[in-house]
Amino acid sequence: MTLHDVATAAGVFRAGGTDLMSRAPGGPYVDLHGVPELGGITWRPDGSAVIGALTTVADLARDVRLRAAYPALALTAAGLATPQIREAGTLGGNLLQRNRCAYYRSPAFSCHQDGGDSCPARDGLTLYATVVDSGPCVAPHPSSLAMTLLGYDATAEVYGRGELEVAGLYDDDPTRDHRLARGEILVSVRMPPPTPGERAAYHRAIARSEAEWPLVEAAARLVVADDAIVFAAVTVGGVARTPLRLPEVESALLAGESLAEAAGRAEARCAPQAQTGYKVALLTGTILHVLEAAVEGEKVAA
Amino acid sequence: MKITVNGVPTMVDTDRDDAAVDVLRDGLGLTGAKAACRTGVCGACTVLVDGAPRASCLTPAAALEGREVTTVEGLEHPVQRAFAVHDGMQCGYCTPGFVVEAAAFVDRWRAEHGDVTPSRAEIAGAMAGHLCRCGAYEGIHAAIAAACRGEHDGEAGEPARVEAMQKVTGRAVYTTDIRLDGQLEGVIVRSSVAHGRVRSVRGGAVDLLPPDRTVRYVGQPIAAVAAASRGEALAAAAAVEIDYEVLPAALDDGSGTPPVWDAADRKHAPTSMEGFAFPGGWDGTNVRGPFGPGSWRSRTAVNRINAASGQGDPRLVTGTYTTAVQVHTAMEPHACVAAWDERGELHLNVSTQAISMVVEQAAKRWKLREDQVHVVAEHVGGGFGSKAGVTVETIAAVELARKLGKPVRVVLSRAEELTDTGNRPGTTTRLALLTDDKGDLTALSMDVHGRGGVAIGTSSALMARLMYGTAPRRLRDFDVLTNEPPGTPFRGPAAPPMLWALEQAVDEVAHRRDEDPVELRRRWDGNPKRHALYDWAAALPAWRDRPATGSQTGRFRRGIGVAIGNWPYQLDPGTQVELVVEGEVVVARTEVQDIGTGARSVIADIVRAELGLPADRVRVEIGRSGAVHGPASVGSRTTASIGPAARDAARRLREHGLKDGTRVVGKRRGDRRGYVTPIAMAGLAIGRGFAGSVHITEVEVDTRLGRIRPLRVWGGLAVGHIYNDRLARNQCEGGIVQGIGYALYEERHVDPSTGTVLTTNLEDYRIPGIGDSPEITIHFHQDGWDHVNGGGVGVGEISTVGVAASVGNAVFNATGWRAHDLPIRPDRLLRGISR
Repeated sequence: MTLHDVATAAGVFRAGGTDLMSRAPGGPYVDLHGVPELGGITWRPDGSAVIGALTTVADLARDVRLRAAYPALALTAAGLATPQIREAGTLGGNLLQRNRCAYYRSPAFSCHQDGGDSCPARDGLTLYATVVDSGPCVAPHPSSLAMTLLGYDATAEVYGRGELEVAGLYDDDPTRDHRLARGEILVSVRMPPPTPGERAAYHRAIARSEAEWPLVEAAARLVVADDAIVFAAVTVGGVARTPLRLPEVESALLAGESLAEAAGRAEARCAPQAQTGYKVALLTGTILHVLEAAVEGEKVAA
Repeated sequence: MKITVNGVPTMVDTDRDDAAVDVLRDGLGLTGAKAACRTGVCGACTVLVDGAPRASCLTPAAALEGREVTTVEGLEHPVQRAFAVHDGMQCGYCTPGFVVEAAAFVDRWRAEHGDVTPSRAEIAGAMAGHLCRCGAYEGIHAAIAAACRGEHDGEAGEPARVEAMQKVTGRAVYTTDIRLDGQLEGVIVRSSVAHGRVRSVRGGAVDLLPPDRTVRYVGQPIAAVAAASRGEALAAAAAVEIDYEVLPAALDDGSGTPPVWDAADRKHAPTSMEGFAFPGGWDGTNVRGPFGPGSWRSRTAVNRINAASGQGDPRLVTGTYTTAVQVHTAMEPHACVAAWDERGELHLNVSTQAISMVVEQAAKRWKLREDQVHVVAEHVGGGFGSKAGVTVETIAAVELARKLGKPVRVVLSRAEELTDTGNRPGTTTRLALLTDDKGDLTALSMDVHGRGGVAIGTSSALMARLMYGTAPRRLRDFDVLTNEPPGTPFRGPAAPPMLWALEQAVDEVAHRRDEDPVELRRRWDGNPKRHALYDWAAALPAWRDRPATGSQTGRFRRGIGVAIGNWPYQLDPGTQVELVVEGEVVVARTEVQDIGTGARSVIADIVRAELGLPADRVRVEIGRSGAVHGPASVGSRTTASIGPAARDAARRLREHGLKDGTRVVGKRRGDRRGYVTPIAMAGLAIGRGFAGSVHITEVEVDTRLGRIRPLRVWGGLAVGHIYNDRLARNQCEGGIVQGIGYALYEERHVDPSTGTVLTTNLEDYRIPGIGDSPEITIHFHQDGWDHVNGGGVGVGEISTVGVAASVGNAVFNATGWRAHDLPIRPDRLLRGISR
């Protein structure tokens, strides 16, 4: 199968299937397995990786070279979902999955995301909704890997469109969870060259110990030299319609503010729904957690 | 397509988009993998694909092409025996998934680390994709650790329960696994409106509406259809046209809501109480009550509380406590396979915790003699109160089978299971508790408003009658009716909400008096059996060394809390056990079922011990009707009923001698001093004495991110003689796990505008996973039940009722903040401690 074959086939693209199979039956499906361009990790002369879209989440977490080069990505991959989902789920599927809003997933409701013209969640259960207001839909974006990739300035190679920033895959449009059009296929994610001395951390705030979609999640990449932070990339998820990078937190860190002060900078973005006021404290708390963990952690990247 | 299944190259004819679990179960008859959640959360469907564990419900058939698939039936791994020996199971429905995943983990672990014990966190991480609703996580931890150490490479160790090897090999057959020739799949069509009169239904095969043709909640059954496959049946269900006259719905508990039940219909309201509800008495349109039969000198109590309140008496503790709706969600969904034979007799496979009730109710409903109703429930994947008697999946299957002339299977989806198979009603409790200068209880007032949807039956305040002596008390229960799915009895009905309020208030008294909370309870508590538990609890190093409340300032704070519980001793005095000598084997039969509590093993243990027989000479055949009368597995009554009957039977047989063909029937002989209830009603007698519990819980609170981690729990239980130590412990451990779920995670959400249940999968309805299971120590105090035939009573309910309150008290000890609302979610904790 070539990319052209699948791009022109009628149906919904299926990678690992972990999202599609748990939603209401749709189809027909077009299996992406068997398209060689979508698989594998290749390393370029500058030391950067190109990660095929069908690379499983589990492989992102355990590939020794990826772990050394992109520790935040590997930690995020290891921290999401459950072992079985990580074995089946893929990088591309994670980036392009649909959101987990109970209203969107319930056949009893219609909303912006499935052809309707309203958001029943707004006036209903908002406990798990966004805290950063980003348009009519209040479903947090579900992709943890997208969040972390924002912090790497990674780009996506898309068949039918070309190369674009991972951030460009998403917007606040309430009718969709990503911007790819029918027939466009995420082929791979291109990483930058590794950052020497990167210290990284990922954390998701949840009620239980495992196996829960994040109330708030955050990833941090830091480089510390002479007790000063000389590089920072801080990204968060579970709080907005898209994964977010927080330049205000990063610049505060580079300016020498304390970790807590820097983390607190995220608060200004928040405009809680009726029941998500708690996510303000949880957001700054989770950011602080990953900043502390990254500072205290061993340097991983070469 | 070609797949190698358990080593055998196999051609399967399947749609490439079908879920692998359906290909295996329906296509190949390999029913070990269970489709319990269909969203990849519970892991019960796990199989190995090229050696790697996969949730087969999320795996498209296409992904199996050319692969090697190993199901639990083809697994031969030491961890299976480890699960059997360490009792890493109860009902067994999740067990195939656990053992398949565990096998892969153990192999990987031993290859990487050698034969050493993994940490609890390591095991929990590997098993994060699995859920066990029975909460058998302590046994699972022990089993996996032992297998990692290589302790089960041989045939070492005896299985802890007689059917254990069937459960770890996938051979145990549950109702959902039954497939008869020509069997159709039935699907229930449900209401999409919260309140309405159904004018017409077009396309339904059978009608499930009540006589008044009115639906009162979203999800109420309206009709059922059947087809050769579930997919076709779902399509047929979607095509059913329902014309509603939509009526205004009561979706909150405010005043002025439209009536859920008209005055004439109120008598049809179902009840969330076991067996009965208090009669009459409505206070307004949707509020029923008050009922206060548990009150004692209530005027005195109220006068004292009012006077103390007027004076601002610091010895008066008041508070409002709420609990969320908790859903049973047994791993095996409600399921029935119904077939009518040529003689007009009815054959049912049902996932039920009450075979005898199914027989009785089915005979009545379909106008048959009881001997014309044949019920099989060989293995039952959990119940917790939701599977007592004929429920709607059985009605639908029987009616469809009669109408269509073929066997029909109805298996509820997880969404149906989480919507309309019952729940523990939510409650709001207003409490006032007054003590005197000596710190003795002088007055108690509890008003409990229960929200069980269209069901009545709140009796939480009543349960406070059993607590702390005879001080004056006003205990009033109210039902607040809404157009939401009905509550049903749930393990320890009515007690957990009462204890959530009362045991925290008692803790508050101790705190204000600066008195040890265990010692205060000892002073107030007249139950001598529990005094032994107080001695045990007070001596626990963790309790002795507990931190001073509110003394910690760091991000992570540890706390420890205590709560007690009381539960009436119940039994079915009509229980019998029959023994027949069949050649070399003694076969025991009774009309009881094993829903994971170990009923089979209790009978087997007693017969073996009394007759001095080896395991292979005793066979227990339960889980089918037609045998002598056995109890329903409700109200903690199974073991206290069957144990003495089995012993009586074994003694009779010993007198007769083990001659081939000999048949004896043993009875559940009475207790000394008889029962509280003079005559047994519906197989129930309330015996003398109360089972008692003391739970000590240690938590770690993350004050930054709002997470409460249960670290250790000690459960002390005064239940008399323990028939089978390991199985009883397992059930008590599971009671603690469910109590932790109730305390920290479990909450049914309903959309406030439409009444639609939103928590319809096991991601959104959060039950505890293995990583949430604390280290548990169970202590049995076995004295004090000499008047009971057999010397012991059940543990099912007493083991869970007080757990949530102990968690609340532990959080208070850690943080100085008292939670009033369940579950103690991160948002609530963060808000609470920030004040």
